[in-house]
Amino acid sequence: MSEKQSSTRSWTPPEGFQKVKSHFEGVVVYAPQQVRAIEDKVKSYACPNCGANVSYDVSAGGIACEYCGYVAPVKAVKLGRSADEFEFTLETISQSSHGWGTKRQILQCDSCGGKLSIPEGTISTTCPFCSSNKVNLTISPEESLRPRFLIPFKITLEQIQPLATSWLGKGWFHPDELAAKTIIRRFKGVYLPFWTFDALVYARWRAQVGYEKTERHYNAREKRWETRTRIVWRWQNGDVRLSIDDFLVTGSNRNHINHQILKKLYPFNMQSLVAYEPDYLAGWQAQAYETTLTEAWEIGKSAIREKAKKACYHNIPSNHVRNFSMSADFSEESWRYILLPVYLSSYRYEEKIFQVMVNGLTGAIAGQKPVAWWKIWLAIAALLAPGVILGLIGLPLLLLGGAGIIPISLGIVLYIIGIVISVILYNKARQSEA
Amino acid sequence: MDNYTPKTSIFEETQPPWQTDYLPFGCPNCRRVFLVPPDIINTTCPLCRRAKLDPQPARLTTNEPEKLLPFQVEKNQLYAIFNEFTSNVWLKPEDFNAEILLKRTRPVFWPMWLVDSDVDGHWQMEAGFDYQVQSSKEVYSGGQWQSRKEIENRIRWEPRLGTASIHVDNIRIPALEEHHNRHQITGTYPLDQANDFDPQQLGIACLEVPDLSPREAWRLARPQVQRELGQICTSASGAEHQRDFAIKADYRNLHWTQFLLPMYTTHYMNDEGQPQILVVNGRSGSIYGPRLASRKRGLHIAGILAGVAGAIFIIALIGLLLAMVFPLAGLIASFLGVLGLGVGIAAIVPAVWPGQWNRRQEEPRIITRTS
Repeated sequence: MSEKQSSTRSWTPPEGFQKVKSHFEGVVVYAPQQVRAIEDKVKSYACPNCGANVSYDVSAGGIACEYCGYVAPVKAVKLGRSADEFEFTLETISQSSHGWGTKRQILQCDSCGGKLSIPEGTISTTCPFCSSNKVNLTISPEESLRPRFLIPFKITLEQIQPLATSWLGKGWFHPDELAAKTIIRRFKGVYLPFWTFDALVYARWRAQVGYEKTERHYNAREKRWETRTRIVWRWQNGDVRLSIDDFLVTGSNRNHINHQILKKLYPFNMQSLVAYEPDYLAGWQAQAYETTLTEAWEIGKSAIREKAKKACYHNIPSNHVRNFSMSADFSEESWRYILLPVYLSSYRYEEKIFQVMVNGLTGAIAGQKPVAWWKIWLAIAALLAPGVILGLIGLPLLLLGGAGIIPISLGIVLYIIGIVISVILYNKARQSEA
Repeated sequence: MDNYTPKTSIFEETQPPWQTDYLPFGCPNCRRVFLVPPDIINTTCPLCRRAKLDPQPARLTTNEPEKLLPFQVEKNQLYAIFNEFTSNVWLKPEDFNAEILLKRTRPVFWPMWLVDSDVDGHWQMEAGFDYQVQSSKEVYSGGQWQSRKEIENRIRWEPRLGTASIHVDNIRIPALEEHHNRHQITGTYPLDQANDFDPQQLGIACLEVPDLSPREAWRLARPQVQRELGQICTSASGAEHQRDFAIKADYRNLHWTQFLLPMYTTHYMNDEGQPQILVVNGRSGSIYGPRLASRKRGLHIAGILAGVAGAIFIIALIGLLLAMVFPLAGLIASFLGVLGLGVGIAAIVPAVWPGQWNRRQEEPRIITRTS
């Protein structure tokens, strides 16, 4: 044999490969080692210098001890939009629909030995016995369904306090005590779960498109030539291609997080995505997804197809459209499961719960504000009063045959203006609470 | 190299190999070597049909062939095959008919190598695993959306490597220089239906002797063995596909034997007296060969038609002369003139058609048996 002699005995697999099951006797198979992106164990945080509890400090950009000043920067890889995306494999879809698979899980604190019962979907927690911060990701149906990426907090709690004070203090019809420090102090940083979706959409539309045609005709009754506009309908079709990139759908349940408020915090700049590191979650709250991948994709798809429909309408060269139909073919669909930073404050006012959220990256703020309804009713009364008073003055004058018509007319006008402004005011107040 | 090539030895003209009474003969024209049964030694070459076979020594494997695919198409079925093959040719040579072709038919077994080997080495490849992804199609009509899920198959490629200490059996390697051409001519064979070699099954068929040099045979065998190993490693990895397979291995205990494939050959003579070879797959009955028309016959018919046309013209001319006396004869003469012209033009067709047809036969195709 001319080639170099080789033997299975002298051969060793290269680094990073592990032996896997072979389906043929005499053949040994090696495959790349499965590197788990996220460790399976619960990670506890204690200061290596003084043993005190440590947490992630936004301004320090790492794990910091507030007692001895120890700081350890987080070693995370900034990935931005190049962070891995996953396909909709049948396996993942079936796994994702099972959720996190457990209602509660028991964790044993490795600091004090206490047993903690934590609810489904809780990623980070603090031991109630020894106050040590813990990050846990032990329960997940599939590797890809663990949060692999996150955007760390960039805004500190101190920075949001003036923002929140200013936002809460805005508007005269809110209770005066709203901007109180007690409410602002309720803000907690939470990593909320989100799904991002990418897809290419090829939409084809067909519709009757109307074109305005101006023509002259003779009006026999009026005995003159007139111009009129007629709509000529023609069947037309066309196509539109959309590239959807990082379409966000929240993974939190509507019962826990107000989706309307959350959407007002958008956008989150995906260039800030980093690889998941449990250090970022130390001392912070984090939530796992409650809306499964398939549920989220249905929500995302509905929004994307409406976007495609809008694009098709935009593609039609006329405002007159009827019998519109279209199809949207999705391809190259992919998804990511990420955690995004949000400061959340919930407070009670007159037996109702209100939420305020701040984007932990940009500082954008949105939320519900209670309304001092007595202020609203007072304002409405003040708005309607001039019209009513003028009416009351004008009526006896009219009966006496005097110039009562003028104050009555003026009163009606002011009354109508008052009603319109009152309705607007009322709606605004309702929206503020919604 | 010698450890990897077939073990052969020279068999003299009178020395029958493999416990048969077959003797080695060679064709002085095409240089092919055959083992011929003793009853038909005074015969022409079954493949080129241009020279008589001469006794000659032959280099043969010491081992007898291992497998043989017996004939399935009987000689009596061949008549129908030839009849169908010859029926659609206009102006065919007299020689080109089913009876004559059947009479000249000769059964031949042609060889392939079968190689067994112990393989010990290490390999690497990209293994392809099938998986499915879900895609969507959304349709909007009548103010409502309808959603349809679509499943798409994809392949995930992952590196795999490892070792192989295995025995591979019966890897089929060409044994003739013209193997690929031969395979194109005969079409495919159901190789899994082969029997173990038994001289009784040879009947009166000639055996064609491998003409690839042992060095060339091993050169061809190695990639074939590697392809086979690639498939084994793919299934060992649990994969469905593979690409970029490479193996570095020792090949030990190589064992070469032959696999014999059945075919019939026959011939007819063209206008120039050259034999035109037809080949029939002994299992499927598919037939290959040129279906030539006879230019000679075409010219002969064209000549007759031209003569007839000339005669009609002469009669027409006479008619024209008679028309001076009998005006009605002019009418008949005109008719005959047109008729003569038509026949004259028709005479061109048989003269030209064989050439046109034969040009289309320059690349004969396999004709698969229909009945």
